[in-house]
Amino acid sequence: MSNGDYIPPRQSALGQFFDSMFLLALVFAALFAPIYLGLAGGGKTELAIADKTTWTGLGQNPVMQAGWEKLGYTPETAAPLIASRFDYSFDLIALGVTALVVIGYFLLVVAFSKSEYREVIAERFGRKTD
Amino acid sequence: MPDISTLNNFQLLEYGAWALCVLFGLWMLFDTIKTDMAYSDDVLISSREGEIDDALVIDPTHQGGHR
Amino acid sequence: MSQTTAIHGEKISLLRVLGPGHVWALGVGIVLVGEYMGWNFSVGKGGAIAALIACWVAGLLYTCVAMIDSEVTSTVAAAGGQYAQAKHIVGPLMAFNVGLFLVFAYTMLEAANAITLGYLVQTVGGMAGATDAAGEALVLHDKPFIVLTIMFLAWLNYRGVYATLTFNLVITAIAFIAIIILFFAVKPWTGEVLKHNELLTGLPYDWIGVIAALHFGLWYYLGIEGTCQAAEEVRSPARSLPLGTMTGIMTLLIAATMTWYICAGLMPWEYLGQAVTPLFDAARFMDSMPLMVLLFIGTIFSTLASANGCINDASRAWFSMARDRYLPQWFGAVHPKYRTPYRAIVFLVPVAVLFAYYAPLDQVITFSILSGLLGYTFMTFNVIMFRRKWPLGTIQRGYVHPMHPLPALVLLVLCGATYFAVFLGYGTQLMAMMLFFIIASLWFHFHRYRYVRRGDQFSMPWPRPQGDY
Repeated sequence: MSNGDYIPPRQSALGQFFDSMFLLALVFAALFAPIYLGLAGGGKTELAIADKTTWTGLGQNPVMQAGWEKLGYTPETAAPLIASRFDYSFDLIALGVTALVVIGYFLLVVAFSKSEYREVIAERFGRKTD
Repeated sequence: MPDISTLNNFQLLEYGAWALCVLFGLWMLFDTIKTDMAYSDDVLISSREGEIDDALVIDPTHQGGHR
Repeated sequence: MSQTTAIHGEKISLLRVLGPGHVWALGVGIVLVGEYMGWNFSVGKGGAIAALIACWVAGLLYTCVAMIDSEVTSTVAAAGGQYAQAKHIVGPLMAFNVGLFLVFAYTMLEAANAITLGYLVQTVGGMAGATDAAGEALVLHDKPFIVLTIMFLAWLNYRGVYATLTFNLVITAIAFIAIIILFFAVKPWTGEVLKHNELLTGLPYDWIGVIAALHFGLWYYLGIEGTCQAAEEVRSPARSLPLGTMTGIMTLLIAATMTWYICAGLMPWEYLGQAVTPLFDAARFMDSMPLMVLLFIGTIFSTLASANGCINDASRAWFSMARDRYLPQWFGAVHPKYRTPYRAIVFLVPVAVLFAYYAPLDQVITFSILSGLLGYTFMTFNVIMFRRKWPLGTIQRGYVHPMHPLPALVLLVLCGATYFAVFLGYGTQLMAMMLFFIIASLWFHFHRYRYVRRGDQFSMPWPRPQGDY
């Protein structure tokens, strides 16, 4: 070990506790926020079906009807499942923003990693100018 | 119509499952606390990447008994 | 899977036994549950035919993953898998992120397993007769069984579950055989049971549905890259890792296609697209008690085996990061008696329980898939940087994958398509997840990294990387 090595400070128990709690809070915020704000899976629409009380009205052939009945469904209980559709119409701006965020994230991580990696290599193999 | 005995069995099953959850949870919690009090932190976090097994047997009463 | 690591006593004995067969079994063990549940949400996103296309495209994606990962892991033969790779090839912040990908992917998969198991117990309870005609009054609640699954497996892992590795493999084999038996039971050579002609109604969402289905198509294979985490214990990684991983993918491809064929020929796609236990439902169609029991057992076993491996892998990743001080070092403790990362195990229990308890299954699976997807994206530039920093011949490689950089580029394109697939219908989750990782990265770079020793992070006996370092 050369003298120039970085000596990290020792983290206090309280500091460790705060760091853990911060990460935990961040995890729950990120993962539960979409669910609680009702934004998750929001991209759903309903097909307009005139007759929701008969299998033919729901557009089901006899084989499908037999399947539903085998699974314990009636036309009334099956109707919400049959009518539900994902809404794939999307906003190009939203797509662009999402793409930028994903790409930006990776660029950010790689850039920061590179600067940190230089220090690691410098400590491990010595400075290049040496 | 549902019969009463099945219902009771179901509730029994559920309460049994909850009881087991609490049991496993408390077991882990108590053992964690017990272990944390019995050993110093420096010993507990002394493991290093890639070190071999023998160096990690730090509980003398269990040395070699885990194979 | 990393049942066997440097911190556990069995590492040395296992070091001599792991051959290609074990690698195959390890990979399939954690992944097979994907055939029993979750994959069918891709039917919901694009229809049954789209799900089959997605299954095969995802198979191609995973073939690239396996090729790339085999090369890097057979060289960076350190426990910790992709986390250790990132530390040596890209840098600390990337490693921190990869560690979090692993923890998330596995913890969410564990939660999904628990939800499925709880649901199945509830369904069977309902079939046992306590529901009235309206299906309301008397139902067995699934929550106690969801929580119990997590608590029990966490407890097993806490106690050191390495002896159950073989047991895990046996129950996985049973789950696999159950699929094959079901396949023959539906007599695919006749048209008596399977009615594909009547049930396959084309593409309800047109071709965009095929791309959207790719999202859950990953679920057929998610976690197969865990085979490479056994790198240290493998007898000859150069031969075993590629062989074991590739045969694992082929097995899953076959199992996935069979599963699709059975389910798509039995159930209306609208039902299949939101079912929790599709294979068990398929058995219900057969009016055969033995088949139902078999698929019940198969589903339970596959979820247990998978969740068990997940707890182990997630807690190990958390533990490894703490040992490097990427996380509070308190988590880097080893239990003196059981030699398990016990604090990490205990800490992750409430996370898994809360998600399994409150979040819907498709959401939980989406989080798991997204974490996996971020990890595959990392692999693309990881392998390119690996070849640049240490060109062929500068260090001893266990295995060199052919046609570089073609697999990396194909993987990148498929990852891009899958991000788009997740964006369709689950865009908010994608955004929330990215924000989480951006904030966590900033936190790490500007705050957390000061507690990390710099030079210690490079532990491979390699020469200095080429380039500007």
